[in-house]
Amino acid sequence: MKKTLIALGAALMALASCQSLKEEWQPVFTFGEIEPEALTLYTESTLPGFSGNFVTIKDLKSRYRSGGVEISGNTWIKGQVISDDRSGNIYRELYIQDATGGIDVKVGKSSLYSDFRLGQWVYVYCDGLTLGAYNGMPQLGAEADNTTTNEYETSYIDLQAIIDQHVFRGAYADPVSPVVVEEADIKAALSSGYTGELWGKLVTVKGLKYGNEIFALLYPNSNLSHKSSNPENRVFLSSPQNDRDRIPGFDYTWGITTWAMSKAAYIGYIRSGKWDTAEVGSGSTRYGPITGKPKDYLTDGITLQSFGFDADLPYKEIMIKYATANYVSHYFTLGDTSIQVRTSGYAKFSDEKLDERILDGSATVDITGILSIYNGAAQFTLVDEPSISVKVY
Amino acid sequence: MKRFFLALAAFAVSAVLSAQEYTGGVKGTVVSRSDRQPVENARLTLLQGATELAATVSGEDGTFQIGNLDDGMYTLVIVAPDFLETQVQVTVNDGYVKNMFNLSLSPVQRVTELDEDSFAAFDMGDSGYNDNPTILFGSNDVFNNIAGYNFSAVRFQARGYSSESQDVYLAGVKMNDAITGYSPFSLWSGLNEAMRSKETVNGAEMSDYGFGGYNGLTNIFGNADNVRKGWRGSVLTNSSLYRLRLMGSYATGVMDNGWAFAANVSARLGGNDWIDGVYYRSFAYYLAADKVFGDAHKLSMVFFATPGQRGAQNASTQEVYDLMGDNMYNSNWGYQNGVVRNARVRKTNEPIAILKYDFTPSDKFEGNVTLLYRFGKNGYTALDWYDAQDPRPDYYRNLPSYFFDVNADMNRNNMLKYAWAKEVWGHASDFPELTHVNWDRLYQVNGIQEGGRSKYVQEERHVDQRDLNFAATFKWRAGSRVTVNGGLNARINRTEYYKSVADLLGGKYFVNIDNFAERDFAALPYKLQNDLDYYMKNGKAQTLGVGDKYGYDYYAQVRNVGGWLSGKFSFGNFSAHVGGRLGYESFWRDGLVRKGLFPGLDANGNKLVVDGITIEPTYEADGSVTTSYGRSKVSRFLNYAGKLGLNYIIGGTMRVYANMGYFNDAPKFNQVFLSPRTRNSIVSDLKTIKTFSTDLNWQYSGNGINVRATAYYTTIDDQSKVMSAYDDLQNAFSNFAISGIDQRNMGIELGFKVPTYVVPNLSLQGVLALGRYEYTSNPRMTQTVDNSAETVMSNVLVPYWKSTILSDGTKVQHYVPSTPQTAASLGLSYNYDYWFIDADVEYFGDSYLDMNPLYRTDYAVAGLDNYITDEEVSYMTMQEKFDPAWLVNVSIGKSWYIQRKYQLGFSLNAKNLLNNRNVKTGGYEQTRLVDNTVSKERFYRFDPKYFYMAGTNYMLNIYFRF
Repeated sequence: MKKTLIALGAALMALASCQSLKEEWQPVFTFGEIEPEALTLYTESTLPGFSGNFVTIKDLKSRYRSGGVEISGNTWIKGQVISDDRSGNIYRELYIQDATGGIDVKVGKSSLYSDFRLGQWVYVYCDGLTLGAYNGMPQLGAEADNTTTNEYETSYIDLQAIIDQHVFRGAYADPVSPVVVEEADIKAALSSGYTGELWGKLVTVKGLKYGNEIFALLYPNSNLSHKSSNPENRVFLSSPQNDRDRIPGFDYTWGITTWAMSKAAYIGYIRSGKWDTAEVGSGSTRYGPITGKPKDYLTDGITLQSFGFDADLPYKEIMIKYATANYVSHYFTLGDTSIQVRTSGYAKFSDEKLDERILDGSATVDITGILSIYNGAAQFTLVDEPSISVKVY
Repeated sequence: MKRFFLALAAFAVSAVLSAQEYTGGVKGTVVSRSDRQPVENARLTLLQGATELAATVSGEDGTFQIGNLDDGMYTLVIVAPDFLETQVQVTVNDGYVKNMFNLSLSPVQRVTELDEDSFAAFDMGDSGYNDNPTILFGSNDVFNNIAGYNFSAVRFQARGYSSESQDVYLAGVKMNDAITGYSPFSLWSGLNEAMRSKETVNGAEMSDYGFGGYNGLTNIFGNADNVRKGWRGSVLTNSSLYRLRLMGSYATGVMDNGWAFAANVSARLGGNDWIDGVYYRSFAYYLAADKVFGDAHKLSMVFFATPGQRGAQNASTQEVYDLMGDNMYNSNWGYQNGVVRNARVRKTNEPIAILKYDFTPSDKFEGNVTLLYRFGKNGYTALDWYDAQDPRPDYYRNLPSYFFDVNADMNRNNMLKYAWAKEVWGHASDFPELTHVNWDRLYQVNGIQEGGRSKYVQEERHVDQRDLNFAATFKWRAGSRVTVNGGLNARINRTEYYKSVADLLGGKYFVNIDNFAERDFAALPYKLQNDLDYYMKNGKAQTLGVGDKYGYDYYAQVRNVGGWLSGKFSFGNFSAHVGGRLGYESFWRDGLVRKGLFPGLDANGNKLVVDGITIEPTYEADGSVTTSYGRSKVSRFLNYAGKLGLNYIIGGTMRVYANMGYFNDAPKFNQVFLSPRTRNSIVSDLKTIKTFSTDLNWQYSGNGINVRATAYYTTIDDQSKVMSAYDDLQNAFSNFAISGIDQRNMGIELGFKVPTYVVPNLSLQGVLALGRYEYTSNPRMTQTVDNSAETVMSNVLVPYWKSTILSDGTKVQHYVPSTPQTAASLGLSYNYDYWFIDADVEYFGDSYLDMNPLYRTDYAVAGLDNYITDEEVSYMTMQEKFDPAWLVNVSIGKSWYIQRKYQLGFSLNAKNLLNNRNVKTGGYEQTRLVDNTVSKERFYRFDPKYFYMAGTNYMLNIYFRF
């Protein structure tokens, strides 16, 4: 009996304690105050594996080759953060710039402004990353996806482990002042191609005049293929490339007076009837206006099948049924140089109206954002809700 | 035959004895040694030498008396189901009736305390599924006794019924949750001593305490004089749930002055060997007093609560488990400052006060009236974030499968990222910040925000009940052949659902806006407001500190009233009971805040004007305005049910009985509102749930043999449910309201315990549960999202819910999930000299994963090309069948009396000795589709998430009583 009792006590002690005190009895947070670990901000001396030399962003961009190139040779760049995705107009991209230029680092996470402040120094270890371009604009990203279409030369750096290997946050600093650029600067940059120093930089452009035309590519059924080889699911809101094809008096803004279109605004525009003459199709394949139905336009049974029960609906109704937010590019001119201001439908200011005086041409506008090159033309991305300086003339 | 001769001999002896008139005898009360409760139907046999002189059966109160005995020494043998056979020596002197007072029997069941603690708290997240355990009670039932304990590890549900159908009463009050119907065991978890005394019936049997349903009824007495007398203390250590439980209790029993007092306290503390992040810091207290007034009146007062918190376990995909090399991986926690911190913590403190009056004016009538009030707080924490990255480590975009899949159509083809992700998850200890919650990052992000606005917070989702119950029952023995039972009950329940800020995670404030709405309506600030009235009054969104309510806030209001009556009619060995129930239930939603997305009309019934915009209301199908604020339409239901039972006893040891019942029950509040967090909209075409259930049973109990065999057949029609799941394609919570679900449950149950006759005191025991639980209808579904009044799918058929035959003749089988449909246990049980040793082998098979309705729609099956093939049907509608599992469990226990005054005992339960770590105990399908395919022809399913059973684990309980 006594032995049994002793054995019992010993067993209880053993089981209750020796199962590894460090695990079972390790402290547990049960609410209250706790001291978090301090955020590590790197300096050049604390960067892991840094050998002491940076290449400039300009030099890095000069390494670009068509199709993309993997960076090697212990290459580091540094720059200050100039992008802020708080407004939602920039998404999953981090722009940094040094004295020689700016570059889009495709850190594929949302809400990057939570981690990167405007003006903060960022160090990028480029080895293993890919320098590619999107429609002529250099980008630093991860290895491209191995798709059959090879649409993109880079992919997002969206795995945190890869971000942690390559992107290091440095000291906070004052936000970078935008470079004020003139038409000549933009022309010079355009003539330099992708190596132009202005591309990817934070700039202010003054005196922009509204061009009275926009560009938007819409997908009636947003779930179906977006590829250019599927023109039956494409609607372009644009203007003819040749002036001779323009219809006198036609409104090539398609009635769009907002910077972009949230889902609700998109539906509102469709219902307004201002797009009723927009045609389904792309390139030389044009089916007819969006008031028609897929079954009216499509003879290919398989293509028609893809619309299923929607084949009997007018495209206009299909667009409402599958509505999503949509970007819009507004055309402005600076002298005789055309500049697109492209705004995402997910931007918080997407449904903000452009000032009437801008639209009616009685005022010019000064805007600040990131300048990029897009298929040989200048494109402008607003960082935040435009605090536009309107100059009446 | 042997029994026949014995009976004949006894009859002959008694006939001889009866020829003489003796005044001596023996009497007493048979009680359970464990809880001092009377043991009914114990067989007492009086022997003199080897000659059986007399036999009797203890009554309902455990008493017995054998008279007409001559002076002398006798042996009294006491046998009762589930108790050790006991012999006592009796001496009758001078013709007196010897009073043996209490004759205690030791239970043969394991000294295991099965309660809600035996089930890990599964965090079903936003999956839309629930996982509420069913606990089988009934030490007097051989099937429940073995299955209740051995099958709990796999969350076995008797006869495939969900836990809502199990009626659980406390002090005569039905305690199933008013909103969900779930059994409420967590309310008294840790108060095992106080709640030990209970009575259970199975299936559709009638109970004295309530009408019951088709899945049994357990009444826990809970008052002071039902707590076993004396002091008792126990120390328990458990390797699969918590490290330590300390429990103490004291009860006076009924004292000479008519008072009885009882107290029970406990603490459950620590983590366990298997699931990191799961911990207990739970306490419990119980105070009770009874006062007996004369012979007829008793007043009972009870107050208890189980305040505390416990960390929950999360489900992950098999990919994560495989990469971690651990099926018990829990993504809910991470280290912070060397401290384990769980994001999902259940925090409860729900006191219950009971006042009960018992009235027993005569032996023929007894009645009682109970008033029970439940209040307090019940919260469940979770991470919440505004415009920030998803902090969950096993978010699907962090996993290798997001970057590469061999199926090129999945459009996942980046091997580099795939390799990196595999590196992270394959070497988790090198990347704790990526494979567990990275608390430091959350604080750091909050710490650098301008003004201190938190991007991440820990929210607490409250379900705070105010539950007032009234119950009255009576039992009237109207005659020797007729007993009438009946009762009345009423309930007023007001449950407040709301979120509050539990922790700002280093920030200074949070903002009360709907970040899901912001994506679609950023240009309309009023639409983003969770509290539009605050915005209209203050011109800005409300800023929040710790403890502030936000997000949603509404009352679920439930009222019900009912009554039941049953009669039991005995004719010799045959008895029958018949009963009926009638009730009325109503419920509604009462929105306490006006949400910007569904503001409705103002107090005067006019359209609201906000920011200069006149808000056009949206309308329900019945023409009423869709609104988040105020009282919804009241749903009203008339409930009724009837039961019939037949019972025939053969020879005192054998019983054949059958039960039949039809039940017409109201749906529950949580099955009716489409999106109660945001608006008053309810499911259209609401119907009551119709259940027909019948069972046929054979039971044998005698000579140490206990057997029960049951066959049952049940149909449950017109069920509805609402599931909510976060849909990142819609960027909103999506709600799936399903109605018209029919199912059929049928099968057999067998439980037995028989002596081996080879080794003394060694018995063979086993159970077999063989069921087939199938869906028999294809329901309809309406899908909505929280941030839009428009329906995504409206009342569409779910054509692949029940089993489907493809065009090539093959069948896609679908079953009722969440429990093994085949379960068996076979083992040996040894009992001698207060030792017990049980060893059992168990088998579980035919267990299926919970299905979501989306995967069973034409939409999901057809894919983007709207073309349905057999292969697509087979793929998309498939229901996963879990692999069968074998388990081995061993229990050992012993108790000692010390100086005839103290009792010391222990029980050690070792489970899953084969260390089988691949037993899935549950899980759910994610209600999401992969639509970003190359071909744009079809959808793919997301990987399901699973819960697994722990490997080898033990529970050691040492108790001391005096």
